[in-house]
Amino acid sequence: MILFRILLFVSLGVTGLAWGLPARGDDQERVSILDLPPDPISFQAGPGSDIANSYCLICHSAEYVYMQPPHLRDQWMEIVNKMKTTFGCPIPDEQISRLVDYLISQNSIQPSPGGTPVQQEVQNEIAGEALNHPGDPQKGKTLYEQYCLNCHGAGGKGDGPIGQSLIPPAANLTLLGKKSDKAILDTIRNGRPGTAMPSWKNEPNQSDMNDLLVFLRTLSQ
Amino acid sequence: MDEIKPGIHRRRFLKGSLALGATILINPKGLWANQSPNMAPYANLPFERGRRPLVAFRQKRPLMVMTTRPPQLETPFHIFNDDIFTPNDAFFVRWHLANIPREIDVNTFRLNIRGRVNQSLSLSLEELKTQFEQVEIAAVCQCGGNSRGFFQPRVPGGQWGNGAMGNANWKGIRLRDLLRRAGIEGDAVQVRFDGLDQPVATATPDFRKSLNLEDALLEEVLVAHSMNGEALPMLNGFPLRLVVPGWYATYWVKMLNDIEVLNQADQNFWTTHAYRLPADPCHCVQPGEALTGTVPIGKMTVRSFITNLENDRTIPGGKPCTIKGITFDQGYGIDRVLFSVDGGQQWQSAQLGKDYGDFSFRPWEAKFIPEPGSSYALQSLAINRIGESQRFSARWNPSGYLRNVIETVNVHTT
Repeated sequence: MILFRILLFVSLGVTGLAWGLPARGDDQERVSILDLPPDPISFQAGPGSDIANSYCLICHSAEYVYMQPPHLRDQWMEIVNKMKTTFGCPIPDEQISRLVDYLISQNSIQPSPGGTPVQQEVQNEIAGEALNHPGDPQKGKTLYEQYCLNCHGAGGKGDGPIGQSLIPPAANLTLLGKKSDKAILDTIRNGRPGTAMPSWKNEPNQSDMNDLLVFLRTLSQ
Repeated sequence: MDEIKPGIHRRRFLKGSLALGATILINPKGLWANQSPNMAPYANLPFERGRRPLVAFRQKRPLMVMTTRPPQLETPFHIFNDDIFTPNDAFFVRWHLANIPREIDVNTFRLNIRGRVNQSLSLSLEELKTQFEQVEIAAVCQCGGNSRGFFQPRVPGGQWGNGAMGNANWKGIRLRDLLRRAGIEGDAVQVRFDGLDQPVATATPDFRKSLNLEDALLEEVLVAHSMNGEALPMLNGFPLRLVVPGWYATYWVKMLNDIEVLNQADQNFWTTHAYRLPADPCHCVQPGEALTGTVPIGKMTVRSFITNLENDRTIPGGKPCTIKGITFDQGYGIDRVLFSVDGGQQWQSAQLGKDYGDFSFRPWEAKFIPEPGSSYALQSLAINRIGESQRFSARWNPSGYLRNVIETVNVHTT
């Protein structure tokens, strides 16, 4: 009997180890990988960075651009075309050359030494001044159309040109009603892990966030 | 089909054992050790734009971050000097698609085997661990683009140094045991593997890879559930990953949950368009030269590295100096390693260390007494048991695959 207990103990111990159980015994939790770190850098603001933010960041972090060796225009063009035709990047044809110009400004042999990515501060606090002014929904609408509409759609239902082709689909912003201002701004700033929602820390200008927030509130009315 | 090729002693390295299954939810805390990437220390790879922050992702020690989303992490090279088996928390990471599952429930996870089989199977982890023979094999997992950053002229793609590789003891079930349980139909030609990772946009091709049936049935091909005696880290493919010893890591599908037997050649993008080499025997072209045809990447080339000295290190002159390194190939096993202190003009034999199996890293070492106040170009040259050696000049191809030129470590003496 004692031998049986020992065997049982040993075999449970072994299988526990085999499945990577932590010694603490918190074995009822599930594996979670949601806490992958946020993107550490973002695109340097400049002509075309809005396109890079809108399309490149759907699938990958800005590091994919800055870790490349400096590429010639033809090489960036080839890469962007591959992203569109092979990997299904929803960038419209008429935006491609602006994006390539931007990529050249960031990482090419000319101009040297190229752009510098912006280091993301891990910052969950909302700048006080952002919420202290009342916010202009018209200005917010303009920001929305530039940065958000492609995915979230004109009415915010997640039905923009790209929105439904994402896994998971773009969020329906008409359902934001009960979310706090802080929660909404956090998501805009830090992005949403596991979705195509990137971090919007570098642009738009953080002091304009209240305009955007006020506009977002109109979507659920 | 069950024959072992002459000269290749695979069975030696397949240790049989049976383990009890477990049905448990597991759970690590945060994947990410809460470290701010921009505050992180960093390492510099020796090529332009080679700065890499050192960040600890979940279940990992600080590794060189090439990209965060999807995660691509490189093993700092000095780690290969510490142990012939690369620790799980230091093992390189490479995902293609950012939609990696946020959690995996060990109770409900199933591995499906379907397609051209007599009977589709849907197996739990417990069934896999209790109903099949458990085998273990030491094998190198190396990214096809390992060392891409050293290509001259540079090529697009992941800019790895030499650390997109690792050696581990993989334990699991033989793929062929699973396929035989399901019963392979007579018209089967390939087997396709899919994991739980998904693209972020529906238009992006899901990551899947295929093997010809004859390769899928090789004895050493495993569906592994553990690595160096522990469950696979999430970032290395928990709970199951395909292990294809001798082949580049692109075939080692992570978070494997679907095995499909096909009766025609796989037409999916990742097989037909990605991971392709120039078709000529060298798998190389001149920079700028058009490709006349391509073939899929397959087995690994012969390589060796010096692991105990970094480039441009100063060492004591006039004293015996021991050079340590590692070597591996596609599974023929290494026959010998030669060592040079003068950039390859003269060679001497290095001493091969313990043999952990034909697919494993194998240690080697050599000694020399450097003159004071001199400089040395240290090189190693591995030759495998069928006479294949490393290359004396680097091959070039547009995707930066298969680097195996003789590497040089320059040292100076006091």
